[in-house]
Formats: sequence, C-alpha cells, structure tokens
Amino acid sequence: MAAPQLRRLGQAPRHLLVCEKGHARHARSRHAAHVRDHAYNCRVSFLIPECGILPEVLKSTVADVGEYYLVRSLPVHELVAQEFIDAFVKKGSCYALSYNTKIDQDNTAALLPNGKLILSVDKDTYEELGLQGRPSQYSGKKVMRYIITIDLTDAGFHPDSKKHNRVLWALKEKKPLEFDFLLAWYTNIGAGGSTLMSYFSKNQIQALKPKITFSTLRDLQCPVLQSNELQGKPDESCSTEELFEWLGAVLNQVSLDNTSSSFLSTYCCPQPNVMVEKAFLCTITGFIIPEKIIQLLEQLCCYFGEPKLAYWLTLTVHGFADSPVSWRESEHGFHKGGENLYNFVIFRNLDYWLQMAGTSRRMPDIYLQRS
Amino acid sequence: MAGFADLNVPQGPDKKCLQSLLEAAAHLGYSAVALNHVIDFKEKKQEIVKPVSPSELFPSLPIVQGTSKRIKVLTRLTLVVSDPSHCNLLRSTSANIRLYDIIAVFPKTEKLFHIACTTLDVDLVCINVTEKLPFYFRRPPVNMAIDRGIYFELLYTPAIKDSTMRRYTISNAISLMQICKGKNVVISSAAERPLELRGPYDVANLGLLFGLSESEAKAAVSTNCRAAVLHGETRKSACGVVYTVKKPRKVEEEETALPACKKAKTQA
Repeated sequence: MAAPQLRRLGQAPRHLLVCEKGHARHARSRHAAHVRDHAYNCRVSFLIPECGILPEVLKSTVADVGEYYLVRSLPVHELVAQEFIDAFVKKGSCYALSYNTKIDQDNTAALLPNGKLILSVDKDTYEELGLQGRPSQYSGKKVMRYIITIDLTDAGFHPDSKKHNRVLWALKEKKPLEFDFLLAWYTNIGAGGSTLMSYFSKNQIQALKPKITFSTLRDLQCPVLQSNELQGKPDESCSTEELFEWLGAVLNQVSLDNTSSSFLSTYCCPQPNVMVEKAFLCTITGFIIPEKIIQLLEQLCCYFGEPKLAYWLTLTVHGFADSPVSWRESEHGFHKGGENLYNFVIFRNLDYWLQMAGTSRRMPDIYLQRS
Repeated sequence: MAGFADLNVPQGPDKKCLQSLLEAAAHLGYSAVALNHVIDFKEKKQEIVKPVSPSELFPSLPIVQGTSKRIKVLTRLTLVVSDPSHCNLLRSTSANIRLYDIIAVFPKTEKLFHIACTTLDVDLVCINVTEKLPFYFRRPPVNMAIDRGIYFELLYTPAIKDSTMRRYTISNAISLMQICKGKNVVISSAAERPLELRGPYDVANLGLLFGLSESEAKAAVSTNCRAAVLHGETRKSACGVVYTVKKPRKVEEEETALPACKKAKTQA
C-alpha cells in the first residue's frame, strides 16, 4: 500500500550541476560572459591554497568592490520614469532588486542592466495591475504567479507612447507597488554612486559597503585536481562533483576530519588529497555587480603570473535566493531553497572549470544543452 | 504562491499562551493564523459564542519575520459532529456561525463524512489523526468535496507528541491521499504550545511522508489555505460576488430622517 510513497521518498531532491571547461586566455572564452549573465550576486568567496598573505593587487581589488545602495519604500513607477531611464538605465548598467521580498510569497521586482524591468507578481496583484504578462513557468494547472517584463530601453517606450502611459498609469494609480530596493550603477566613466544618491535624495537612501572577511585556514586537506579530467580518475584526481561538495563544506566551516565522536558530520575530503599547510579564504557579502566580479576574476588569473605553490584556486559566487531571475532573463523559482550559484576553478595553466548549480527547479535550457 | 498560513491554533482561555503562540507563528514565517474554537456536541449543551475579534484580544500583532507586515488573525469554528442532528445547526442561518471566517466539521462516522462532503456549507473537513479511522474513505464524497472546493485538514502536532499517534497520522493521511490524489489538502498544527509549531517549509517536508508530492505539500500550507479562507469569505457574500455592508449612519442624520419618512407614509 505504501510502496509508491516509499519509492518517491527514496529520490533525493533534484539539483543540477552543470560543468564546463575552458581556457581563460582563449580568444573565444566565455567566462566573462557567464559572469555577466548572472546579474544579482549576494556572496563572492575565493579560496587560494598555499597562500598565507593576499597579494596587494588582489587586496585592492577586493577593497574596490564598490558600494551599493538601499532605498526604502521606493514606488516602482519611479524606475519607469523617463528621467530615471535617461539618467541611469541608458548611460550604464543599472541594477535594482527588491529587498526582503520572498519569491514564493510576495511580489518582487528586478531591473536588469539591459534595461528590462521584471515584475514577478501573484495572481491578485496581476489582475489588479492590468499589465500584460505571462504565467510563471513553475505553475501547474492553477496559475498563482505571473511574470511581467517591461523593456525600458525599447524604442517604442518613449514618454508619449501608449505603452508608457499605460505602464505608468498601472503602477501609479491602479496598483501602486512599493518595494525596498537594492541599487547599484556602473558606467565606464566610473561608479556613479553620488548621482544615485542625489537622484533619490527625497527617498530614504543609504549607501552600504560590502562586508569583507579574510581568514586563513590551517592544515586543510585539498582534493587533487587535473584540469583535463572533469570526471576524475580513480587514485589520480577528483571529479568536479567531489570538488563542489568539498568546497561547500569548506566554505561553511564543516569539519572534515570524520571523527567517530562527531554526530553532526561524517564528511571527509575526497580521495586523493593533499594536506595544505594554509589556505586563504576571502568572503565578500553584499549586492555585488558582475563587472566587479569580472575584475576580481581577472586579478585571480593574474595570480598565477608568478610561480606559485598552488595548483588551482576557486571563486564561488552565490546569487540571491529570492531574485526573480537567475541566469540572463530565465525565471528563477523557489521551492525549498532558491540557491543559484556558480564556481570557477582556475588552474595554474589558466584552464578553468565553471560549475553552475541550481535548485530542484529547472535551470535555463541553454545551459543544459551545452553540457 | 500565497503566503503561508496555519489554519488551526486552538483558542484557549489563556491569553498569554495565545500571544506566545502567535509570536512563534510570526517568527516562523506564517503570514496568517486562524484561532480555532471547538464545539463538541457530546458535552452537554454548548452555545456557539460570537467570535472574539483578534483586535480586541491583542492590541498589537507581531510582525511576520522577514517582512514588514503584521500577522493576519482569522477566526475559525470547528464542530465535532457525531450525530446527524448536529448538522441542523449548520443548515439553519445562525447569526453567530456566520461571523466566523472559517467553518470546519469533524465527522465521526462515515455517514456524517458523506454529509459533510456533499451537502454541508463548510470550508474544512477534519480528518481524524489520533486513532484508527473508523471508516474507509470512498471516492464519491471525496470527489464531490473537491468539486465543491472543500478542503481536508490534517494535523501534525499529534504526530510530534506521540509515536502511536504518528503511526495513525501517517496511515490515515496516506489512505486519504489514495482517494483524493493529493488534491485539496490542508496541513495545520493545532499546537497548544509554541514549541509544537513547525516552520512552513518543515511542514511541507512532512507532507512528503503523507504521500503528497513536493509541490502539493507546499500548496497544502500556502495556496490551499488561501483558497479555504476565500471559500469561507464567499459565505458572507451573495454568490461570492456581491458584498453587503451596513453603512455606518450618524445619529443626527437618523433623527432628522425619521420624521420625514413618517410624513411621506401618511401622505401616501
């Protein structure tokens, strides 16, 4: 009687890990594009084995991750206003993400650097709002969530157009939506924080600095990796999955010694491994824009410019669990956990592995085809 | 998906205990709870009292964790029926019953379960989880209930308290799932102490043991609760479309209006 239920219980929750390999200095390498595709990042951490003190160049790059801004109860129609579009969206990469809103319960909003405003709203709000959208891809027969995409840089979206007026009317009068927003702006001329500050001066805006923590891990067991062996070879190198699991344990400070008295974790480092005397771990948390991550990634590649003891280093980037998009414009869902993260493993010869992980909900199809 | 809700928080006489329960629920991330008033017809004559309005009980409601909204408190009435005559109360247009947001019945026999699913104007049908089911679920009443938008309620606190009850909870839940196929199920707590409450994601996880799929289990603590509350709201409106609200009239207006009205009558 209970057989079907038990069978279902046996399945582990679905998660996806996509891996690909490349060379950082290859002319057609897409590593920067991958970073740019993932717009909203809340945590960046890198681990360098056999490194006691961070080189000055890297230290200054980390310090230069840049400020972000938190605006309290900002009406969404202000992001659609023509002055805002002209001043920020068209002149650089503008990132905005609603803060403290849950993707599975509340309405959320996000502004992508390509000028697309994405509203993920529940059924009631959608019906009140009167804007055209599409049902969320995670809904079954009963649609409870809709996604509205508004392209702010579209040529047809000028102040006198019907569409602009309708959007403005919907967001101003029909259903005034208000969120706390995390904002960041990047231009080629330089970060334009002060302009953002002055533009939203009448709203409650505060500048926030990312939190940076450095730590040195002593006597760490590190798996042995070979850049051309993604699947790993028994007794020679570890596979990407094993590394990913190990990295998760290291970043969360899970003990790796598998002592018999430990009831919390029996995890230990995959075989084969080497004992590393010290490893440097740096974690940055905040609203970190992809441009800065690309800079950091470049600097990490330059780390191998001089001869070093380490064979590889890793850079892990976590996305916001509650952002309405994960990669590019593909929808992001939250079922039991909304993790979306990617991890670079950079080898001494500047080969890299890129691992992209998503939750039980589907990953973007483009990535699945490529893997 | 709608916010999480726990549609069964027993309304005891102790106000302090209730307050701590509400705070625990808000801290766990529930955006709505329903205070449950149980009436068991076995015990003497029981009067259906007017629901105590939550604003009267608590001057300030706790804020749901991670949001800026306050927790929503609803009222619920549960009738434990063991005889068909008890259902008459629901059919009659009792004024006090209509004041509750949600009405649930706890049928004790198969016949009453059939009546509850097919004819009674209720929102929830409680499933017994503390003892072996006295009857088997049959497809026709369950399907009828699903068509009418009535939800089946499972409680999880007994399963936390006692291992025997846990066995009954799981076996009764699974036998329900075989008939209703995971549709129209609500999982709620009936927690008497704050420690017996569990977070919504944990409850959804427990739903897997009851034979629900992942999305059904999550719907059982969020969307289905919303639907049950809306089903209750339609009782207060005409065909679920039109509301009638008494217009608050000022005393002075009434005084002046009355004589004019009388005059008109005599003229006619």
